[in-house]
Amino acid sequence: MQRLAKQFGGLVMGSVFAAGLATAGLAAEVSSIAILVPEQGTDYGWNQQGVDAARTVAEQQGIDFIPAEGLGYGDVRPTLRELAEEGAGLMIAHASGYNTAAPEIAAETGIPVAIVDRPEDIKAGLVADYTLHGHEGAYMAGQLAAMLTRTGTVGIVVSGEPPSWNSQSAGFAQGVKAANGDVKIIYAVIGPAAYGDAAGGRRVTESVISAGADIIFGQGNGSSFGMIQAVETTPAVDGDKVWFIDVIGDKSSLDKGYLLSSVLWNMVPVYNAMVEDLKADTFGTKSYKIQLSDDSVKLLQTDHIPAEAWDSMMALRDQIIAGEVTVDLITDAQEVRGLMTSVEAQE
Amino acid sequence: MSALLTEAFIGSLIFGALTAGIPLLLAGLGEQISEKAGVLNIGLEGMMLFGAYAGFAVAYSYSSFTIGFLAGGLAGLATACLMALLCVVWSMNQIVVGIALTLGAEGLTALLHHFQFSRSYPRLPKAETLPLPGLSELPVVGGALFDRNLLVYLAILLTVFMVWVFNRTQLGLNLQAAGDKPAALDAAGVSVKGTRFAAVLCTGFLGGLGGAYMSMVGGGLFLPFMTGGAGFIAIVLAMLARGHPLWVLIGAVLFGVSLSLATALQVAGVNIPTDVIQMLPFAMVILVLIIFARHSYLPPALGIPYHRGER
Repeated sequence: MQRLAKQFGGLVMGSVFAAGLATAGLAAEVSSIAILVPEQGTDYGWNQQGVDAARTVAEQQGIDFIPAEGLGYGDVRPTLRELAEEGAGLMIAHASGYNTAAPEIAAETGIPVAIVDRPEDIKAGLVADYTLHGHEGAYMAGQLAAMLTRTGTVGIVVSGEPPSWNSQSAGFAQGVKAANGDVKIIYAVIGPAAYGDAAGGRRVTESVISAGADIIFGQGNGSSFGMIQAVETTPAVDGDKVWFIDVIGDKSSLDKGYLLSSVLWNMVPVYNAMVEDLKADTFGTKSYKIQLSDDSVKLLQTDHIPAEAWDSMMALRDQIIAGEVTVDLITDAQEVRGLMTSVEAQE
Repeated sequence: MSALLTEAFIGSLIFGALTAGIPLLLAGLGEQISEKAGVLNIGLEGMMLFGAYAGFAVAYSYSSFTIGFLAGGLAGLATACLMALLCVVWSMNQIVVGIALTLGAEGLTALLHHFQFSRSYPRLPKAETLPLPGLSELPVVGGALFDRNLLVYLAILLTVFMVWVFNRTQLGLNLQAAGDKPAALDAAGVSVKGTRFAAVLCTGFLGGLGGAYMSMVGGGLFLPFMTGGAGFIAIVLAMLARGHPLWVLIGAVLFGVSLSLATALQVAGVNIPTDVIQMLPFAMVILVLIIFARHSYLPPALGIPYHRGER
């Protein structure tokens, strides 16, 4: 009798195990989407675009949305574990500084994560990478800057050199050169990861303006506000105003008359694709991108852009989409610096 | 390269160097006071952050830089009061309390920013300056060095004042005794805890002032986490300077100059990895202070709570 009971118990255990395996093989249902961002999702830039896009996708997919904002750039493992315990179906680690911790927690908890700037770390079903490149939009911004500069010098100020920033810096430089090879490009990095360094952003931008730039292409999360402050308070070497070209978000509502344009990103298609991939069991098997053709990358139109210049930007957009104009995707920092005028002069 | 060496560009580099160095100078001098008295104030970063927030918020509300600086200093002082209460009066671990204060300041100021400024991101106008007659008209350096906010001149004068206090006054001796031989100070009838409490308050006020300078003059706005470790750099400066205010001044200026140099090298297009360029300020300051300030010493009772009757 005891032996029969043991055999029956084994049969039950085996059935449960088999059922578990069969369930694991089925397409996953995503009940919620969580996003972790280092700053508040109100920065009119990287953090806000990420949070807003995740919220939109949650609404579109009819799933729960769990934001975790203002986490800083330190260790987010406790937050990731907490979100996993709360039942997050997908955790988007929206900062390059999180791309070590997130895959670790994914392996520990089995909850899929999306990271940035580490495409080599993707793992089927568990880790996806969404290193995005707005280089084609930046190329358009570069052409616009080359058309509108008075001093013949434009500046690029960045808060770090992650692949996404690098590809846009390179795209901007290629655009400037394509429009006017005589325009000088000055390039300066605030710090290795100075994303929230407003004082540094202002200090470096003031120096770039003093070196002759009258249009600043700034990439910097929170430090962008320091760059904008510099643009608003420092005249160009010709005594006239300096223009600012932003990235990712739309700061028009904060503008005091210095915002020329912005390379806008829309991450909704990317996050939607992630959820669909989770459902289809293809998560972590491919890369995601933003592009001009579906307007997930586009140039912000402001009143400060002359109509003629805007028309040529739109014509350029069509040419890029049609493949008549190609923009090289460059993500290596050394190669980006090689595109700058002052470096070329030394070589 | 030579095309870049214009008066405007060099002036902006010098201006930027001093702007980056002043918060470190103020916070570093403050840290030196509490270290002299035997209290390792790891919470300096949090005091700077509170100062940065309060300074900006008040300056923006009242359209006054003077009131903003005062508010920044007082916010730092209030934070220091908590630190002094926990560490000096109740003898809690100075490192643990300091870290907790910093983390608390990061969270609270981020929250306050979220509710107050995160939709509007207000910015202050350029800071008021006080041109020094005769000097501010000097070519290249005049505007960058001698047409600055009053707080810049006061910070430099404070360095000289602290040299005098440390070396020539009874107060300086009391501070040193509180850090070197607190029992001896106690035996002389001076309250060790009172001396240390006052020293920590001074640290908080100066740290808060440094933070306020960073947000009001350096950035012109407040952002969460904007001090970015400046408080910890100031602690390192104070420790490496080992009781000499002039070395804090030299370290802070050197740090600022190195930051400007890093920018200048990039603008000039020197094609070496940015990480190497960005390492310059830290490497240079540590190298110089280790070489020139190595004969100084740290107070033997630094970080050790004082209990009357204990040896």
